Amino acid sequence: METLIKVENLSKAFGKTQALDQVSFEVRKGEIVGFIGPNGAGKSTAIRILLGLIKADKGRVEIFGQDVWKEAVDIHRRVAYVPGDVNLWPNLTGGEVIDLFLSLRGIAVDRKRKEDLIRRFEFDPTKKCRAYSKGNRQKVALIAAFAAKADVYIFDEPTSGLDPLQEQVFQECTKEALEKGASVLLSSHILSEVEKLCDKVVIIRQGNIVEAGSLDDLRHLTRVLISLKTVEALPDLDKQPFVHDFHMKKGEYIFQLDSDHLNDLLAYLQPFTVTQFESAPPKLEDLFMRHYESTRGGV
Amino acid sequence: MQSHKLTGQMFVFTLKKEWITLLLWLIGLAAYVIIGVVAFIEIYGEPAELEAMAMAMQNPAMEALFGKAIGMDNFTVGALYTQSMTIIGFVLIALMSILLVVRNTRGEEEDGTLELIQALPVGRLAHTNATIILLLATNTVLAIISSVLLLLLGDASMTLHGAILTGAMYGISGILFGAVALITSQLSSNTRGSMMLAFSVLGGAYILRIIGDAGLTVLSWISPLGLLYRSEPFASNNWLPIYIGLLVTVLLLITALWLKKHRDIGAGLLPDRPGKTRASSLLQTSLGFVFILIKVPLIAWSAAMFLLGVSYGSILEDVQDLLSGNEIIEQILASDPSIGLVEQYMSMILAVMAMITTIAGLQVFLRIRAEEKKQRLESVVAGNRSRQTVISGFTLTAVLSMFWLQLVQSLAFGGAALATGYDIELLDVLLTGMAYIPAMLIMLGVAVILFGWIPKTTPIIWLYHGYAFILLYFGDLFDIPAAFNRLSPFYHVPALPSEEWSWEVTVTLSVVALVLIAIGTVGFRQRDIN
Repeated sequence: METLIKVENLSKAFGKTQALDQVSFEVRKGEIVGFIGPNGAGKSTAIRILLGLIKADKGRVEIFGQDVWKEAVDIHRRVAYVPGDVNLWPNLTGGEVIDLFLSLRGIAVDRKRKEDLIRRFEFDPTKKCRAYSKGNRQKVALIAAFAAKADVYIFDEPTSGLDPLQEQVFQECTKEALEKGASVLLSSHILSEVEKLCDKVVIIRQGNIVEAGSLDDLRHLTRVLISLKTVEALPDLDKQPFVHDFHMKKGEYIFQLDSDHLNDLLAYLQPFTVTQFESAPPKLEDLFMRHYESTRGGV
Repeated sequence: MQSHKLTGQMFVFTLKKEWITLLLWLIGLAAYVIIGVVAFIEIYGEPAELEAMAMAMQNPAMEALFGKAIGMDNFTVGALYTQSMTIIGFVLIALMSILLVVRNTRGEEEDGTLELIQALPVGRLAHTNATIILLLATNTVLAIISSVLLLLLGDASMTLHGAILTGAMYGISGILFGAVALITSQLSSNTRGSMMLAFSVLGGAYILRIIGDAGLTVLSWISPLGLLYRSEPFASNNWLPIYIGLLVTVLLLITALWLKKHRDIGAGLLPDRPGKTRASSLLQTSLGFVFILIKVPLIAWSAAMFLLGVSYGSILEDVQDLLSGNEIIEQILASDPSIGLVEQYMSMILAVMAMITTIAGLQVFLRIRAEEKKQRLESVVAGNRSRQTVISGFTLTAVLSMFWLQLVQSLAFGGAALATGYDIELLDVLLTGMAYIPAMLIMLGVAVILFGWIPKTTPIIWLYHGYAFILLYFGDLFDIPAAFNRLSPFYHVPALPSEEWSWEVTVTLSVVALVLIAIGTVGFRQRDIN
């Protein structure tokens, strides 16, 4: 599969702060990649470099095989971008800004498509931008992004101001774009959204990529939440090496299990009569929290 | 009385956040009064000069700008002060009061601050009351300051009665327009709309007064500006307009409070006009986009330059009488005694106006820095316009604005001079205005370089411009070494019409400007957008 976004050993420093350090990841054609990490991890810096707004210190960054800095204008014809904090011109109306954004991509406005999106997002384009809430400003950028075909969509926390219904609309629009063969890089804090949409995730922390791969792959690296009941008491379950965060609640044993030790657990349980056994696959949130906690721990 | 609960605390709180802003305004307005009095006493102290100024002030253009000539039978410094300072003073005070009221009422309502306050056990009108008290207090202080300054600095013609009346007149003008702003803040649902409405009333009052003074006297009585002007302190000392103004103000304030009490929070009484659903084709071009961004300031600048041009141009006829014998002015102007005073005055004024136009042009260009700071520039750069196209849109619009404003001001200057009977070739004035364009472009070029390479340093351009301004004004007054003079691009421009147009200078300066702009553009192409 063709690689559309390619980031290789990307480094960027602002003065003494190393914002990105040897970051590498890629997005292939037709793929949607979730880009997650705590605030200040470097997500937005990476995205701004991808858009040619700031210049990388080191490393190779390409979209469509073209250098994002040198060929920025060429690349932008086929890229749609939605920032998390949408800043608009207070004296222009939402409708005007949508058209303006499209004209900035050199695209003639497809009225029907624009009006269709305005309806779906339940947006009032006749108001001046100064009157819009954060969510409405985001809708302006989202409508402008979806109103014309693009090969690559770059979203930087695009739904942080939207209500759940409109989040749904965003997810539908993104899926439609994917069906048409577009690729998406989605930076988000809403992990359920990333989980629902994304094939792959890239987790970034303090300017480093700490995890990258398909969600399935990543789940293997993590733990499963197990809750079970047995007729007999289970001696020393909490002392097993593959059991973590053990506690009991209403006679239920609840603990985290290293994903690759499921077999060991079953072997351990063999002699006992199990009356209830539930396992929950790890949520992206757990994955994320693990990295986040280690950040706080200063690792 | 529930709705007025905690008005006192609200006032203390409002004062706390406003006092610095208002202090600055009061200092500025006090400076306005001081400069007015001192200038008239120092410059027009002699009866003959006063006579000449009185003649100049009767000129219809001056009457339109400043107000009807008063005290003609006994022309004193006091009467001169009243005629030339009153209307502009009203406008400044009204501006302060309108901004004060809208900022503290509709502004806070739009920001959502009022909602927080209203959720506390505070009366529904306490917030508005606090603003009204602040408005009254500020204007009262202003009235007292003005009266005291006039008494302290004025000459014999500035009587106690007149000084108190002037203060009262100033105070009432501010309170009245503040009350108007309080009404408009109830009408429109947003800050901008409220301000625009209030400014429209102010502008309307100004125009009504001009028409009224030109003949339809009843119109100047309807205009608050014209009405209060009729107090004529230091001349006829009439208190009736003050009483009428006070009555109108009270009615306006009561109405505004009633409206405030009976409407929903966040709502305006006028319906919001729906805006455009689609962008005009102009907005979708890179030049049109910049033009639309700076449209409103550009219109304001055009009006200001037109008025400046007219006011300076219309006194050209009287300049000889006004200026001759005045040592300071002669020293500033007369570097070469062989050239007529009027020509020198003209060169000087056109140079000053060119410097003002430069401010406007720089402001147009620096809009790109504001766009960057507000993180809107990245949306533009993330599009498929090259950075060169983006910055050139701003540079080119700035250049066009400079040409346009120079055109407006030189034609206004020349036109007004012709209309008031001074024999002048319009083309000469236009040429003088245009001769400054290359120097203005160099200023722009420096701004482009600062912005293009180290955006944080962009404001330095104002220091540089200020430097050039000071050199122009005082260059001949003190013996400043030529090397310092040469640093200002304006120094190189021949002072038409007393000096000859020089193609050599025009071309050299233009080429330098283009190189500067090009260097700045290169810088912008390779730097980070913050």
